[in-house]
Amino acid sequence: MARITAGVGTSHVPAIGAAIDLGKTQEPYWKPVFDGYEWTKKWIEAEKPDVIILVYNDHATAFDMDIIPTFAIACSDSFKPADEGWGPRKVPDIHNHADLAWHIAQSCILDEFDMTIVNNIDLDHGLTVPLSLMFGQPDQWPCKIIPIAVNVVTYPPPSGNRCYGLGEAIARAVESFDEDLNVQIWGTGGMSHQLQGPRAGLINPDWDQKFLDNLTQDPELLRAIPHIEYLRETGSEGIEMVMWLIMRGALGEKIKELHRHYHVPASNTAVGHIVLEKDT
Amino acid sequence: MSELTHTNIHAYLAELEDIPGTRVYTTKRARQGYWLNQFAMSLMKAENRKAWKADEAAYIADWPMTDAQRDAVLARDYNLLLDLGGNIYYLAKVFSTDGLSFLQAVSTMTGMSTEDYQTMMINGGRSPIGLRSIKEGT
Repeated sequence: MARITAGVGTSHVPAIGAAIDLGKTQEPYWKPVFDGYEWTKKWIEAEKPDVIILVYNDHATAFDMDIIPTFAIACSDSFKPADEGWGPRKVPDIHNHADLAWHIAQSCILDEFDMTIVNNIDLDHGLTVPLSLMFGQPDQWPCKIIPIAVNVVTYPPPSGNRCYGLGEAIARAVESFDEDLNVQIWGTGGMSHQLQGPRAGLINPDWDQKFLDNLTQDPELLRAIPHIEYLRETGSEGIEMVMWLIMRGALGEKIKELHRHYHVPASNTAVGHIVLEKDT
Repeated sequence: MSELTHTNIHAYLAELEDIPGTRVYTTKRARQGYWLNQFAMSLMKAENRKAWKADEAAYIADWPMTDAQRDAVLARDYNLLLDLGGNIYYLAKVFSTDGLSFLQAVSTMTGMSTEDYQTMMINGGRSPIGLRSIKEGT
């Protein structure tokens, strides 16, 4: 049977992708960001997941104002990195585990999470930057990727509680898939940042660290955080952290924190990542 | 905790307007800014960027937005564009076409020079203290 073994939460700042693509990772500004991922890169090389369910948000790339799905799951066989206005990132195509993706879609819908199914989509930095952070610059990504896109751009985004519940439904779907697969789930985006208005540049390390603490210590508290708290405490774009709760919900009750890293800034953003292992 | 708690939509929306220096992209703003944002989205295509750069006023004239929205785009007044229904991820197509990074474009909304803004970020960013609520001043 397929099983979820671990979860990763990580920022997906586009400037991080540009720094990797332009060979700037050892520059003094960027080095502390990338050093924090060294442990995680070794860890994932040893873990060798077969599939990653990668929760991200599209930033007015594939979805514009014409279609705004709250939860979308991409089910086709493969995807291209998107052209976000300056040419696509030179990273490998992304290959899906389409049978598992379709299975998750049908299971979640029957479980009352009404997913939008997408078959033709290019994937933006929200999805490709985490892959680059975790796997570096390989010729091919070493595993299959199931993209799940969440609307966190047009208000209201889904509640943290709903995201957590979707994670639980995804876990049930994976566990009922009849193929022996090591599956990870990643939640991406955040941490505190605001990209608009006179309040832009807001960073809240205390709140961010507490959020990281409570992924293991008190996830029930996290799922109850209302949108307004993300907005007030973590900036208008900090709301992306609801996507981490899909990851957390999918891991179940007993988990261990294996690694954490936090650094300010990358461009306008606090960069955080955490590795959580399911305790079996 | 998985019990559904019903949200009072009016209280929810009122709180979104109580954050200093912030325009939350609500459905009302999404409706107001539909064409403004779709215009910006059109700059994802190289041929459209070329036409826009060749004659901005002519390119934008064809989009059914308000004069105020058109003028604010031409003036690159991003705070005003947020007030007129623009969303930052869409407006990013305009400033990327200008060759500006997120950090450079975002700094123009803060009243700081790009250098001062970048220094603030390197020093840990802007504290939320005093910027959480207009009403409460916290």
